[in-house]
Amino acid sequence: MSGIIEEIKACVPGAGPVEVSYPEKGYHYALEASADTLPGLVGFFDEKRFYLECLLCTDYADYLELVYLFNTHLSPCRVKVTLKIDPQHPVAPSLSAIYASAYWYEREIHEFYGVLFTGHPNMAYLFLHDGIDHYPLRKANVPVSPEDQKRLDSFKPGEAEDTFCINLGPQHPSTHGVLRVVLKMDGEYIEQAEPVLGYLHRMHEKMAENRSYQQFLPNTGRMDYLGAMSFNLGYVLAVEKLCAIPVPDRAKFVRIITTELNRISSHLLWVGAYLADLGALTPFLFVFDDREQILDVLEGVSGSRLTYCYFRFGGLYNDVDDRFIAGTKAFVQRMWRRFTLYEKLVTGNVIFINRTKGIGTITKEQARKYGVAGPVLRSAGIACDLRKEEPYSAYNEVEFDVPIGEHGDVLDTYRVRIAEMENSLRIIEQALAKLPGGPFMAEKVPKKLKPPRGDVYQVVETPRGELGIYIVSDESDGPSRMKWRVPSFSNLMIFPELAKGVLLADAVAILGSLDLVIPEIDR
Amino acid sequence: MAGMVNDLLNIANSEAGKLIVGLVGVLAFVVVNALMLTWAERKIAGHMQRRIGPKEVGPYGLIQPIADAIKLLGKEILTPAKVDRPLYYLAPTLIFVPVLVSFIVIPFDASLQVTDINVGILVILAFSSITILSILMAGWGSENKYSLIGAIRSVAQNVAYEIPLLLALLPVIMLANSLSLKEIVEKQQSLWFVIVQPLAFIIYFIAGVAETNRTPFDLPEAESELVAGYHTEYSGMRFALFFLAEYTNIFIVCAIATIFFLGGYQGPVLPGIVWFLLKSYLLVFVIIWLRWTYPRVRFDQLLNFAWKGLIPLAFLNLIITGGLLKI
Repeated sequence: MSGIIEEIKACVPGAGPVEVSYPEKGYHYALEASADTLPGLVGFFDEKRFYLECLLCTDYADYLELVYLFNTHLSPCRVKVTLKIDPQHPVAPSLSAIYASAYWYEREIHEFYGVLFTGHPNMAYLFLHDGIDHYPLRKANVPVSPEDQKRLDSFKPGEAEDTFCINLGPQHPSTHGVLRVVLKMDGEYIEQAEPVLGYLHRMHEKMAENRSYQQFLPNTGRMDYLGAMSFNLGYVLAVEKLCAIPVPDRAKFVRIITTELNRISSHLLWVGAYLADLGALTPFLFVFDDREQILDVLEGVSGSRLTYCYFRFGGLYNDVDDRFIAGTKAFVQRMWRRFTLYEKLVTGNVIFINRTKGIGTITKEQARKYGVAGPVLRSAGIACDLRKEEPYSAYNEVEFDVPIGEHGDVLDTYRVRIAEMENSLRIIEQALAKLPGGPFMAEKVPKKLKPPRGDVYQVVETPRGELGIYIVSDESDGPSRMKWRVPSFSNLMIFPELAKGVLLADAVAILGSLDLVIPEIDR
Repeated sequence: MAGMVNDLLNIANSEAGKLIVGLVGVLAFVVVNALMLTWAERKIAGHMQRRIGPKEVGPYGLIQPIADAIKLLGKEILTPAKVDRPLYYLAPTLIFVPVLVSFIVIPFDASLQVTDINVGILVILAFSSITILSILMAGWGSENKYSLIGAIRSVAQNVAYEIPLLLALLPVIMLANSLSLKEIVEKQQSLWFVIVQPLAFIIYFIAGVAETNRTPFDLPEAESELVAGYHTEYSGMRFALFFLAEYTNIFIVCAIATIFFLGGYQGPVLPGIVWFLLKSYLLVFVIIWLRWTYPRVRFDQLLNFAWKGLIPLAFLNLIITGGLLKI
């Protein structure tokens, strides 16, 4: 999107966007806004069909900085808009009226930094329901103001005369983890759904501030335990970008092979768990059989079966051996045959189609407003896959398709995921054929990383969608701020809208189709 | 001494005595049948899912259900604080009444029947409605929202599916010209009714699966939505009673299908009871097979299927059968 600088200048008086180096920073344009110009800018981005990728806050001691990352789904054009606010009276205008995705991001910033967003409909706490006496991500010890103390436990589901509330979770068979959704029901129909987060909140973002870059590596796999490779990859890519560490070709190819294997195992688990949600228990055992093969292969090189920590800054933990390559080839061969089995067992099943067709339909506009990501976004018909849009590692050297859905319903998310697994197999086949020799680790990566002052943003496509990692360095050996923009978080945000007015059974089907990993949402 | 034996024989030969012996036999059969079916279900499910299923306790894990029963007996019977006690306590017991009554009129063999009532099928259908009552009592009495939704679903589902169930049995009753189960079996000496009434058989079987709350119609206990439905709050032996009743109901539905459509105990060479059990358990296997193959339907789809699909079809079948009989 060239010429956007002129367009912004023309539309919003007083705005001065600058072009930055994308390979170094991870975004294309930077722009500083003030409280006066921000509404005009946001209106401009909304009109140009940008989506709000991420909203975060950084504490620079003498000022707080809000960072809005806007992007377009096709042909990436990421604009970083910053807004400086006074740490003594942190107030900013709310975007939740324009971008629905801002609704939760603003609540999150409010409880971690104490920034009050004017015009936000509900500034209740999102994660910290037990209360806390200071704002955890502020650099100075800032006690929570009395007004905010009142907002701590403001979540109280009310029952009216003709309705009742039921809890889906935090201990419930359909929430796969400790998500709690309070449903206000009228008979079997849902009037309102309200997700309650925070049961698995560990504050990884704060942990990162207290550790060096290497020490944080194992944390990545603990956020998304099903797509640990992708999270691991995203983190090392971000740090490599920050410190300008080169990566040898062999490591790049091994990275995409292992990440794609992990993607298949994650999607397989989703297929099994999702069908179990719909009452079909047998496919669950079948997919576990396949998944087991992947875990064996990955265990051989990375040493773990679930929370992988295989990548290192500048390369890999260790090189792949012949057993890994033979095992991967055997798995790829086996998996191609298994798709016909799933086709017969599941895809053609009339009950399955009746349960999923036309349920939870997401329009393109909704997907943009909520910042929906991954297979859910693609099922809505937007062919946005970051492996294609912003290729990292060796993805630009392999060929694959980006499958999209036609209707955006739950059945489409199933089809998209199945097709994605097939494309992952294609990627693995090509990468194995092209796998170069040479070192698997860059030379002379310093033990203690001291990156220059500045920030980077790195995106990767995890099995659930867009993962964005924003790191601010203050020249010390650890990050001064690390923000994780996780796909499940934005995907769950759309659930209340999709669940409105549907049957309880459909709500379970929709919730399942989003493929949520709770530790990733809560971080 | 001899007098005492004679007295005992006399009592056993009397109507009341027969009933007592029969009831004891039925009770024993119910327990053995349920235990066997849980084992069979787990074993079949295991093999369908590329597992082995139970194998540790006894040969092929045959003793597993007994170990489970002992475990359930040994468990503490918890009563949640807020339950409606009379309803909560009565429900698991009441669910057993129709089960026992149904067995009294089922002819296992030409001479193996506790008592032959000339309105046998009416007795079974009338008493099986009590099952719904006890599910509703369990759901309401548990003071749990999941239980309540499960119970309400169960009532709507059973009311809807009892109609096609009955309508599918009527053509057979018209053909056999009797309501006695034994006579219906006797009428099938030359030709099984499934051949003249294939549609009625299919409708009956589908409705039967729905009546027993089995997948794909297991909405009252849909675990991914309602945790365990109406028996969420039951533990130990109380839960086991619901479990027993469910498995016995499966057998009863299949036994009636055998009697009405598959010629009951009729069959060459082997004794009647073997044929009867063989046919019944074959149908039980089909029900288990369905559960481990299909997902669950949605509530509105379930009711639509009954009211818009099965009931009109069953009526059509009934009218055609009636018309053909008149000609």
